[in-house]
Amino acid sequence: MMPGHLGRLLIAVVAFLALAWIPIGFDVGLKFDAALSLVWAFAILSVVLLTGYVGQVSLCQATFAGVGAYAAGMIVNTFHAGYVVGIIVGVIAAFALGVLVGLPALRLRGITLAIVTLGIALVFDKYVFQDHIFDWFTGGTGGWRVEGTNLLGLRADSSSHLLAAYEVLLALFILTALLMVNIHQSGAGRRFRAIRDSELAAATMGVNVTRYKLLAFGLSAAIAGLGGSFYPLVAGSVSPQPFWVFTSLQLAAIAVLMGVRHVPAAALGGFFMAFIPDILTRYGHGSFHGRVYDISYDWFSLALGVLLVAQLILLPDGAWGDIHSRAAKTWAQVRMRGNKQVSVA
Amino acid sequence: MTMLRVRDVYVRFGGVVALDRVSIDLNRGEILGLIGPNGAGKTTLFNCISGVLQPDAGKIIFEGRSLRFVPPHERARRGIARTFQNLQLWGSMTVLENLSVPMDALGRRSTLGDAVGSPPSEYAERATIERARAILHVLDLDHHAHTLAGDLPAGIQRRVEIARALAMRPKLLLLDEPAAGLDANETLRLAYLLHTVRDRFHVSMLLVDHDMSLVMRVSDYVYVLDFGKLLSRGRPTEIRNDKKVIAAYLGEPAAETAVGANGDAGAVVLATDHQEPIRAVPAGNAPLLEVKNLAAGYGPLEVIRDVNLYVKPGEIVACIGPNGAGKTTTLRAISGVVKPRAGHVMFGGRDITGRAPERIAALGLAHIPEGRGLFPRMSVEDTLLLASDNTGTRVNPRVAYDAFPRLHQRRWQAVGTLSGGEQQMVAIARALLAQPKLVMVDEMSQGLAPTIVQQLFEMLSVLRQKGIAVLLVEQFVESALDVADRAYIFEHGTVGHEAPAAELRTDRKLISGSYLGSAIDDTAAVPVAANSNGHRVDVELMEVLALKVPPAVKRAIEERAEKEGRPAGAIALELLEGNRK
Repeated sequence: MMPGHLGRLLIAVVAFLALAWIPIGFDVGLKFDAALSLVWAFAILSVVLLTGYVGQVSLCQATFAGVGAYAAGMIVNTFHAGYVVGIIVGVIAAFALGVLVGLPALRLRGITLAIVTLGIALVFDKYVFQDHIFDWFTGGTGGWRVEGTNLLGLRADSSSHLLAAYEVLLALFILTALLMVNIHQSGAGRRFRAIRDSELAAATMGVNVTRYKLLAFGLSAAIAGLGGSFYPLVAGSVSPQPFWVFTSLQLAAIAVLMGVRHVPAAALGGFFMAFIPDILTRYGHGSFHGRVYDISYDWFSLALGVLLVAQLILLPDGAWGDIHSRAAKTWAQVRMRGNKQVSVA
Repeated sequence: MTMLRVRDVYVRFGGVVALDRVSIDLNRGEILGLIGPNGAGKTTLFNCISGVLQPDAGKIIFEGRSLRFVPPHERARRGIARTFQNLQLWGSMTVLENLSVPMDALGRRSTLGDAVGSPPSEYAERATIERARAILHVLDLDHHAHTLAGDLPAGIQRRVEIARALAMRPKLLLLDEPAAGLDANETLRLAYLLHTVRDRFHVSMLLVDHDMSLVMRVSDYVYVLDFGKLLSRGRPTEIRNDKKVIAAYLGEPAAETAVGANGDAGAVVLATDHQEPIRAVPAGNAPLLEVKNLAAGYGPLEVIRDVNLYVKPGEIVACIGPNGAGKTTTLRAISGVVKPRAGHVMFGGRDITGRAPERIAALGLAHIPEGRGLFPRMSVEDTLLLASDNTGTRVNPRVAYDAFPRLHQRRWQAVGTLSGGEQQMVAIARALLAQPKLVMVDEMSQGLAPTIVQQLFEMLSVLRQKGIAVLLVEQFVESALDVADRAYIFEHGTVGHEAPAAELRTDRKLISGSYLGSAIDDTAAVPVAANSNGHRVDVELMEVLALKVPPAVKRAIEERAEKEGRPAGAIALELLEGNRK
């Protein structure tokens, strides 16, 4: 049984309180990872909405996050506006691009749609974020530093405020996740899921497929863009590298790994994507029984691939999805046993 | 008042004219039957009306307004709802959610309001669920409300599709083969249900089905399509006696037509000229296939247990019984598609229990599954040549073309573009080419037009002449018994009775007993001389089928059956006869 609105709100508050204190004792590097993990969590949440709910495959979610990051960075750096304005512009820009990308999706589905979105990611990577024509705005391959900004008193170039950025991001993430669960359980969510299961039936049962597909692409891009627009604040700079094609593929892979139909999987995925590579590079070298080993960042991709294969065999609904449903089943059995004992007594 | 006018609608796919200037009129409150052989263009017409397909020419006018530029979802909101031949429920959503989607579409719901759970949104949500529950109640689906639609059996899914269409509050309901895959008993229930729906929800209907008895019983007026053209139209009684229709539907030379004993509904009866005297299989032959105490199932569910049967070389054996009795699972366990949990399967003196399906096939045991197991994009010739890979020698497809000349004409066509009957021919031909000793066919006649079904049943006799044994699962008991030597009656996951087909043909009580499991509401629904696809059905048999058995009585009968070790059906019949005396 799904909890009602109040129950979900309560779960959200508990989740915030449980997660808010985690990075308190961390060093600067790990604090940075914690804040970054939420940026990626937003991006994975956008995959959950688009692929998990509506069944549309997209391999350009990192591009949406990148557009959010660039738009926010530019507003703050070039026009010296407040960071809140930057975030709003970033989200709107991502939403608009999402609706545009959604247009081909009206006709395409499955593998062809995946290829088209991959193409879009490539185009943005090579010809927008990195091309010389847009240097004045993107700063080329090197990007640019975002300095002297503040969001409600948080200075972007100051590593000591990473913790505060984390708290703000966490609150926003949990709020967005809560709204998404609400949508999933209500009329709009049912229409989304109807499109996923059978577009033909959805159209003939009064669902405006065009409108809801475009809405899904727009909302999904906006969510990715919201996360991305915090990137300049967290990193103190904007560059094309974090938003390149491979990140989009990674986002899709990690979403599937963690459970593409489940909102909490986004948080797990973000954590996985930010922390694991850093931990590997930090502690992944040394010597063991006299043999020198060096587990660098490359191992992360390898591990991701292996985990993905294992997950598809062992946990077809993703790590969160399967563990959650198994736990629920066990809990139901435990309760049944309890009831039986009562009736015997 | 005319609600729907279809005027000169013309549709072509490549070189094929699917609809050739078809015109139809439907009045308010009317149930209109639409019949015709496979590939006549019935579903194409449905797609044009519901807006999935844009006709190349012609007009469709609904309630005085043209539908030319109206997208499908808008047509649905104006009151046109439909069901699908191949079920299109949203499988990962519950039944209640399936009904909520069309209801939401009728009102204005805002995504933002839903996201924050605003009071109007909450109110609309409650109203939606209340109304969905009301519809579920009328269609007797209450206890499935929270089941995922994809987990339900096909028969119930069909009912949920009708419920979902009703949730759209339609003025016109398009029903595309609602009786496909239902047995005679369930079909009767469906006819009753459709009348209930019309009376309670005041909807007009356009009904496509192969089941003549259903269409004739339910419709006020019938249109007949053949090769995209309107062949005839009229009241059901007129259509039934229309020479043109009978010729198109049954194929003139192959079958003669007869009027059923009481001249009532669905009186078109197939002539059973292939009912030659049963050739006795020489006794003392070692069985080709022997199944002992077989058990199998899916996940936590054990579907069959203690199944014992055998097939001798050159014999045709039928497996009959109600839906869900375990016939299909038995075939799957024999061919290795499902791993047996207990028991033994011996084929040609070898133990093949639990072997890989392809190795069992290589021994000469061909399995044609329900739905035929073909590759839609492969050409006919390539599909047939695939058979060579099983035997290790390259086969000559000519053998198959001699048996099915029609396939020779279509040899380069992709299998997916063939009609259902032709696809079944390809499946049988492919099995034939692998030079099997035994062919197992599952639900050969499902969804096919009578002419083709008859040809296929004749094909089984051809297999016998070639010395190939056949194990047959078939819903149409009469037709199966006409070709078979022996039959096994399945009941609740095991073999309830075994007898020579000739004996069963005369003594139907045994069969009817096995079907008694399901209750039916419409006790008046007796005088049906022919059921779907024009197969003969005994009136007396239908009478037994139509009995209403309360669950408590059913349970008592089953308990007694278990105690006495006899089939439940036999006990039920005994009780019934006692009552009559």
